[in-house]
Formats: sequence, structure tokens, C-alpha cells
Amino acid sequence: MITKKALPRRTFLRGMGTAVALPFLDAMVPALAAATTAKPPVRMAFVYVPNGIMMNGWNPDYEGKLGELPRILKPLEPYRQDITLFGNLTHNTGRALLDGAGDHGRCCASYLTGVQPRKTVIDIKAGVSFDQIVANQVGKKTRFPSLELGMEDARQAGDCDSGYSCAYTNNLAWKSETQPLPPVLDPRALFERLFGNGLALTPAARARENLYRRSILDFVSDDTRKLETGLGPTDRRKLDEYLSSIREIERQIEKAEKDNAQIDPHMEKPYGVPADFAEHFKLMSDMMTVAFQSDLTRVITFLVTHEGTSRPYREIDIPDGHHPLTHHRNQPDLIEKVTQINSYHVRQFATWIAKMRSIREGDGSLLDNCMIVYGAGLSDGNRHLHEDLPTLIAGRGGNHFKTGRRIVYRKETPMCNLYLAMMDRMGVHVEHFGDSTGRLDALDLT
Amino acid sequence: MQFPAAAKPPVGIVFDSAMGRIDDVLALAMLHGFDGKDQARTAAICVSSGDLQAAQFCDAVGRFYASATTGPAAMFMHFMPIGLADAGAKPASASPMLGKPADASAIKSIIDTADAATLIRNVLMAQYDQNAAVVLSGPATDLAKLLDMYGVKDWIARKVRLLCVADAGMQADAAAAEKVFAEWPTPIVTAGREIGEALPFPGDSIEKDFAYASAHPVADAYRAYRPMPYDAPSFTMAAMLYAVHPNDGYFKLSGSGNRRELIFDPEQKDRILRAYVEMASAKPVARKPRRPPDDKKDEKKDDKKEDEKKKEAVQ
Repeated sequence: MITKKALPRRTFLRGMGTAVALPFLDAMVPALAAATTAKPPVRMAFVYVPNGIMMNGWNPDYEGKLGELPRILKPLEPYRQDITLFGNLTHNTGRALLDGAGDHGRCCASYLTGVQPRKTVIDIKAGVSFDQIVANQVGKKTRFPSLELGMEDARQAGDCDSGYSCAYTNNLAWKSETQPLPPVLDPRALFERLFGNGLALTPAARARENLYRRSILDFVSDDTRKLETGLGPTDRRKLDEYLSSIREIERQIEKAEKDNAQIDPHMEKPYGVPADFAEHFKLMSDMMTVAFQSDLTRVITFLVTHEGTSRPYREIDIPDGHHPLTHHRNQPDLIEKVTQINSYHVRQFATWIAKMRSIREGDGSLLDNCMIVYGAGLSDGNRHLHEDLPTLIAGRGGNHFKTGRRIVYRKETPMCNLYLAMMDRMGVHVEHFGDSTGRLDALDLT
Repeated sequence: MQFPAAAKPPVGIVFDSAMGRIDDVLALAMLHGFDGKDQARTAAICVSSGDLQAAQFCDAVGRFYASATTGPAAMFMHFMPIGLADAGAKPASASPMLGKPADASAIKSIIDTADAATLIRNVLMAQYDQNAAVVLSGPATDLAKLLDMYGVKDWIARKVRLLCVADAGMQADAAAAEKVFAEWPTPIVTAGREIGEALPFPGDSIEKDFAYASAHPVADAYRAYRPMPYDAPSFTMAAMLYAVHPNDGYFKLSGSGNRRELIFDPEQKDRILRAYVEMASAKPVARKPRRPPDDKKDEKKDDKKEDEKKKEAVQ
């Protein structure tokens, strides 16, 4: 008779005001149920890049099985079997629809809400975003219903695009039609939110703590030792890798804080934010990995930089602002720079996907149990087009999706149809969302 | 659709036809003529027969009329997709009238077209209230599907002032016709068979008025439809003319209420035929970008402000 008791999924390593969630371990699967019922949860994330994408470097000239990928997507080529590339998805509510200029404000606000935002800088109004509909239901099972992350200026007031409030260009997630959820930009704040019982420290408290700086893992070492004694070799290795990844994030944050202190005292950067774009992206993506791995949340939105941004990319020798470059007037040198920025973004994303793919979970990888959408609210940033939006999903949504393909739908197919299909995978069933006309078909294995 | 003019623009026309008769083709040419003269705007063109060749033809005709636009305006020119009835599963009609439009069209397969009902819903959202009209010729399949879409009846009632139906061919989908007549939330006006037959389009106009282009897709279609010379009944053209100019006295209306019929007024015959010829044979017009100048200025101003802010932030 098998009597071994399974470890609860919501086990935490605790100590000194700290609670570290655990990844999905074999020990969490009841012995007899292992073959039939134990399935890791499905998670979803949105990675949003601004100002559209040079579509001739994004769209392959073929449908079906993914082969050689175009220039911008090249970094994802080693993982093409894990992605699905979509064609012709459209956000009609991002278009002017009689509201004149302001495509950047509209495209970002409508991206996950599926509604046309009110053109205003004061009494903002959009709609509940679909990630929040999912979070309201599946979020009850995790410590955080959702996480909202970003890497740039999260200013919420003022006019950011032709009469559209900055709340529209600087947020992806909307909890209600008047309440956006601003992204967390500071890796330290995110780390403390994830692992410090949700209590971010005040600067004074952090200064005290820094005098005796220790790893968060030191606080939970007693619990870790106790847990390890009851685990098999595979789980011990998994736990070790997981805790090492947390320690690595800590080291990166410490390094970023030291670097910032040395770089430029006049720079208005949030405390702990790496000056280097790629480093910042990696830190945020590492924490997204841990958050998914330890089931702290199943829903993440990541606004890489805000819509309409004019951020320069000195990291890749592009001192010009991103947004002005996208209005390239077909000048080859400007097009080249935009393409380089687009490729640079995808390179960071590909690094994250590689990491997600390397982590074993259940019968496959952590990535297999995720749906990570990478995309933008505009296709052609020069002409401000809202059709054929650059969209891909990395991951199989819990082994539901038949990946490694490019699926081109008919023109004007609502992006919200994809959201309905994703909600199904998340176990949230609604009939209509935004301007949906049905569920996106041809996604599944069957 | 992207950049509506600051002032209320002329009526936006949704044209949904089977593109199966020559008067459908002539009505399509009329719509481009009205558009070129700023008497109407082409909101959407849809093919209810599911015939890909017909969609290619409509696209090729649109590109013919767009060919006069060059320079920066052409760079920002935006071609709306052609709507095609669901599935598009029907084999190509191989209608001689439709010729071989594939060469002149960007449509190579069904994915280059839009679902007709979705396209109509999307473009109606971009119209000023009561400033759109729908012209239907052939089966009402697309409009019946449109009526079934979530929340769309309210949009139709808000945006559309009139549905104008060319009666001939509508019964090809009797269930759809019944549904549209029962549920369509705006006034409906029908152009019956007698109207089309009483007002034949003069075939001799093809060699005279369309001769400005050595290869005119509409003239070529006319010649291919039947052996020349012939005059063509004008069911759909009558519906198009009334949809654009309902108050200009071209036609009288029967009865009262929300369903009425066009009545032929012999005194208006010459005037109507002149309008047919003038609009169907209108030359392509070079278009200006539709973005309002003020918005352009605003956006540049905003970009500049944003860029300055960013520069300050990094200094």
C-alpha cells in the first residue's frame, strides 16, 4: 500500500518575514494520481513592445510550418518549434473611429481591453482588460492574481498623445474601465513584492537591512534544510536550481544598485533599476520565470517600454528616439535603425524563452505550460496601422497548441478572438470580449 | 477609416453585392465616381457570392481608381480589404465579365479578403451617426450574419440612415432576405425590377465615355458580359444613386413607413441616365491624404514635446 503524503502545492519556505514559494515538485504529486490528474497550471503573459514593428522583417513569406525566420525574429529561430506566429489579427478599436490623431494612446489602451478609450487627459475610460478577467478567476489560486511589469516611465497623468492621457500609453492592464494597473518598474520592488511577504521596505528600513545585507535565502535556510530531507534526488536538484536562480536575481539587483551609484548621480532612475536595457530586461524576465515557476501568479503583463516612447537605444549605438525613427518616410537608414531596435527587443525576449524552455515541469518544460504573447498594438508604425498586428505566442498553453507554425487568418480578424481562445485555455469561459466575433480557430493540436 | 476629415464627410457607402450582373459592376464604378467627386465615400465593398474572382475584380477596380494618386499621398494610401462572404468556398464563377483580375489585384487567396460581416461592422463604427448607407444587390447573406453579431444592431441603428436594396437576386438566400427585412433597424428602400428595366444604361457610352483609359476594367467587363452593343438594366445603379442622393428628386417613393419602394418618374429619366453615365465613367481622381492638417500639427507638436522631455531626462 502506498501511503506517502504529497507535499501541498502552496508550500512556502518561511523565515524572518520572508516567504519563498516553491516550484512544481514531483513530491507535490500524490503517488497514485501522478499519471492521471497532476497537471501543472497554465499561465499567460503579454510582452508588449511599442511603436509598431518593421513588418517586412517580421512576417515570413509563407504560411504553415516555421522554417527560416525573417531578420527581426531570427533570435527565436532555435525555438521556432515552441512558437506560433499569427497573421492578420486586427484591433479595430485602436483605429481613429472619428477620434482623430492619437493612435499610440488608443492602440495601447485598446490592446488588452478591446474597447476604444475615451479621448481625454482627465476622466479616463477604457474597459476591463482580459488579463484581469482571467486574474479575477484563476488569481484566487495564487498569491498574486496578476503582476504588471514595465521598464520605463510609468507616469499616469498628463497628455501623452494628441489628447490621450498618459494613463493610456503607460498601462496595459485595466482593473476596471477607469482604473489602470500601473506597471512595477523597479526590480528591487518587484523582488520584495514576490518574496518579502508583499511588504516593500522604506528607504530607511532598507538602509538598516543593507548594514547586515544577507540573502533572502539565509532567512529561510532552516525551512530549506527540513524540506530537503524529505525530497528525492530529482526534486532536490530542482529546488537547488530554483533557489540558485533567486540568488542570482539578488546578485543582479545588488550589482545594478552598485552600478547606479557609480554611473551618474543626476540620472532620474528608480533605485535598483539597471542602466542597461538588456540587463533590466533579463532581471525582470528572471523574476517572471520564478513567479511562474513557483506559481506565485498565472497572469503577467509586461510593457517593455511605454507606447509612443522616444527612448534612445545607445546600447546598440542608436542615439535617436524610437518614435521619431518609426516615422521614417521610407528612408533606408531610418528603417534600418528601427529594424535594429525591433531585433534588439526580440533578442531579449528570446533569452527569456530559452530560460523558460530549459526549466523542466511535469512532462515537459515550464514554457510548455505557458502562453507568452509577444506583440505590438501597431503593425506599421510609420502609417499607424492597426491591422496585421505583429503577434506570436511562445509556449503550448498546457500542450494544447500545435506550435511551430504561422497561421494567417482573414483580414480584419479581431485580436479579441485570440483572447477568447486564450481564456478557454486558462479555464475562463466567456462568450464575448471586446469586439470579438468568435474564438480563433486552428490553434489546437486536434 | 484611419483619418476622417474634421468636418462631417459625405455619406459612407457599404456596397454588398454578388457582383454577378453588369449593373453591379456599373454601380461599383458609380461608387468610385461619387467618391472621386466627394459626393460619397467608399466605406466597404463586399462580395456576397463567396466568389474569390469577384473579390479580385473589385480589388482590381479599386486599384484602377487609386492609380491617379501618386507621391506622398500614395505612400499613406490605405486599401481597405474586400469583404467576402463566409468561407469563400464556392468555386470561382469563371464569369467572362470578371475577366482575369488576379494580375491587377493584391488578392491571391481567401486570407487576403475580410469576412464581409466583420468588415461591415468595423467600418460602420468609423462613420458619423446617420451618415452611412448600405447598398445591397444579390443575396442578403452578409447582412443577415451582421445582424447576428453581438451588439451590432445598435451600431447599425446609430450609424446607418438607409438600406437600399436592388431586389433582383435577393431571393437567392430567402432565409437571409426574410431575416434582414424583419430585423434591419433602419428604413429600407427597394429598387424593383421595373426600375432597372425602365432605366437601361446606354451601352454606347462604353466606347465614348470610358475611352480615356486604354484598359478600363469596367468597360472591359461590359464588353465581356454580353455581345455588344446592348443597353444594360440598372437595378443596382438605381439603388446606388438613391443611397447617395435620396433627396435630389431622382425617384419617388411608394407608401410610407420603414419599407418603401422606388418609383420610376419618366420625367427624370434623362437626368438619371446622365447621372449614371457621368458617375460610372468618371476618371480616377488623385486623392489627398485624409488626415486632418490640425491633427498632423498636433501630433508633431506632441512628438516634439515628448522628445524634449526625453532629452532632458537623459541629460
